[in-house]
Amino acid sequence: MSIILECKGITKTFGDKRALSDINLQIEQGRIVGLLGPNGSGKTTLIKLINELLTPTAGEIRVAGMRPGIETKKLVSYLPEKTYLNDWMRVHQIIELFMDFYNDFKPEKAYDMLKRLNINPNDRLKTMSRGTREKVQLILVMSREAKLYLLDEPIGGVDPAARDYILETIISNYQEDATIIISTHLISDVEKILDHIVFINNGQLVLSSSVDEIRNEKGKSVDALFREVFKC
Amino acid sequence: MLGKLLKYEIKATARVFLPLLAVLLVFAGINRLVSSLSQNPRQAPAIISMLLYITILVGILVMTLVVMIQRFYKNLLSDEGYLMFTLPAKTWKHIVSKLLIAMLWTAVSGIAAMISIFIIFDEKIFNVRLMQIITSSIEEFFRIFGTSSGLVILEFLLICIISLASKVLLVYASIALGHLFNRHRILASLGAFIILNTVSLIFIVITGMIPASMNFSADVNSMNDISAFVMQPSFQFFIWYNIIISGLLSTGYFVLTNYILNKRLNLE
Repeated sequence: MSIILECKGITKTFGDKRALSDINLQIEQGRIVGLLGPNGSGKTTLIKLINELLTPTAGEIRVAGMRPGIETKKLVSYLPEKTYLNDWMRVHQIIELFMDFYNDFKPEKAYDMLKRLNINPNDRLKTMSRGTREKVQLILVMSREAKLYLLDEPIGGVDPAARDYILETIISNYQEDATIIISTHLISDVEKILDHIVFINNGQLVLSSSVDEIRNEKGKSVDALFREVFKC
Repeated sequence: MLGKLLKYEIKATARVFLPLLAVLLVFAGINRLVSSLSQNPRQAPAIISMLLYITILVGILVMTLVVMIQRFYKNLLSDEGYLMFTLPAKTWKHIVSKLLIAMLWTAVSGIAAMISIFIIFDEKIFNVRLMQIITSSIEEFFRIFGTSSGLVILEFLLICIISLASKVLLVYASIALGHLFNRHRILASLGAFIILNTVSLIFIVITGMIPASMNFSADVNSMNDISAFVMQPSFQFFIWYNIIISGLLSTGYFVLTNYILNKRLNLE
C-alpha cells in the first residue's frame, strides 16, 4: 500500500504557544482513520496544516508525495469544523461552484443525497439551520471523488439520528483506494467504522495503531483505551 | 482558474451593485420628471427628490468602499476563507480577482453617476451650446497635441488605473497586516492602514525629490503652449516617474498581501 499522508517532524507554534510538536505520522491509502484527542489537543491544527491553511513552524507534510499546494488541493476534500458557506447563494449555486473548481465533483451524487435528506436545492443557505448547513457541507465534501478526505468534527453539531446517516454517507461514498481521516472526540459513535486510530494530546502524538491491533493485543475497545490514555 | 474566480467575484458583487445603480438611475429620472412638472425649482418635491438622489449617489460611493473591504475580509479571512483557500487556485489569483472586480465597480459606478447627471440636467445644461463646447474642446485637444494625443490619453488612463489599483491594494495589505494579530484584528487593520499610508507618503516624498529638482520651462501663455509644456522631456519624465513610483508601491502592497495570505494565514 502506498502512503497518502506523511508528516515529518511537524511543529506548529502560535506565538509562545506550542500547538503541535514533532509529529511524525504515516497514513496508508484506503484506510478510515480516526484522529482522536481531547478538545484543544491539536487535531484541527494538524488538519489545517495538511490543507495549507497554516504553514508549519518546522517539519514537512507530504500528501501523495507532494507538499501541500494546488496539486494536493485537487486530491483533498476537506470538511472544516466551521460553516464556510456564504449566506447569499442557493444550494444549487454552491454545487455549480464545486463543479467549476473541482474536476472530481459528481453533482448527481450531491443531488441524490440532498433529496434523501429532504433539502431543497433552491433553498438559500441563509435560511437554513446550522445543522442543515453542516449537512449540505458534508454532502458537498463527500460528492467529490477525492483521494484523501479530511473531516473535522463531522458529527459534532448534529443529532444522534443524523449521525448514523452521516457515517453511513461517509462510508458509502468513498472509493476503495481513498483515505478518510475523521477528527472527533465522539469516539463511541465512530469506533465501528475505523480501521486505524491516531491519538494526539497536548500537541504530541500518543499512539498510531490499527484498530485490530488494539483489540487483539490490548483486548480493549478504542473507546476504553481512549479513556485510559486520556484519564484526567 | 482566474477566469472562474472572476466569474464568482462578479456574481457576488453584482447582486449588490446592479440594484443600487438601477435605483440611482430611476431616481435621476424621477428628479427630471419632478423638476419638469414643477414651475419653481425650490418647491418641496423637487428638493426632496434631489436630496434622495444625492443620498443614493453618496451611498454608492460608500458601498464601493464597503464592498471592496467586505469582499476581501469576509470572503478570504473569515469562515468563508476555509472554502476559498482550499480551492485549487493560487493565492495571488484570489487577490487579483478581487482587485480587478473592485476596480471594475468603481469605474462602472463612476460612469453610472455621470449618466444619472446627464438624465437630470439633460436639457438645462446639456443643450446644443454645451455639446458644441464639448466637441470643440475635443477637437482642440487633438489639434494641440496632434500626433502625441494617443500618448497623452494613454498616460492619463495609466495614471487613473494605477492610482486606483494602489489605493485598493493599500487597503488589502492593511487588512492582511491586521490579520497577523490574534485579537482586535479590525482595529489592527486600521492601525496598519495609517502606518502603511504614512510610510508610503514618506516614500513618495523621498522619491519625489528627484523630479522636483528638475526645471520645467513653465511659461504657458496660450493654449498652444500646453502641448509644448506637457511634451517637454522633463515633464514627460515626471509623469512616467510617478506612474512607475505608483506601480512600485502597488507591487509592494501586492507582494506583502500575497506573502501574508500564503505563509501567515491563520483563519479563526
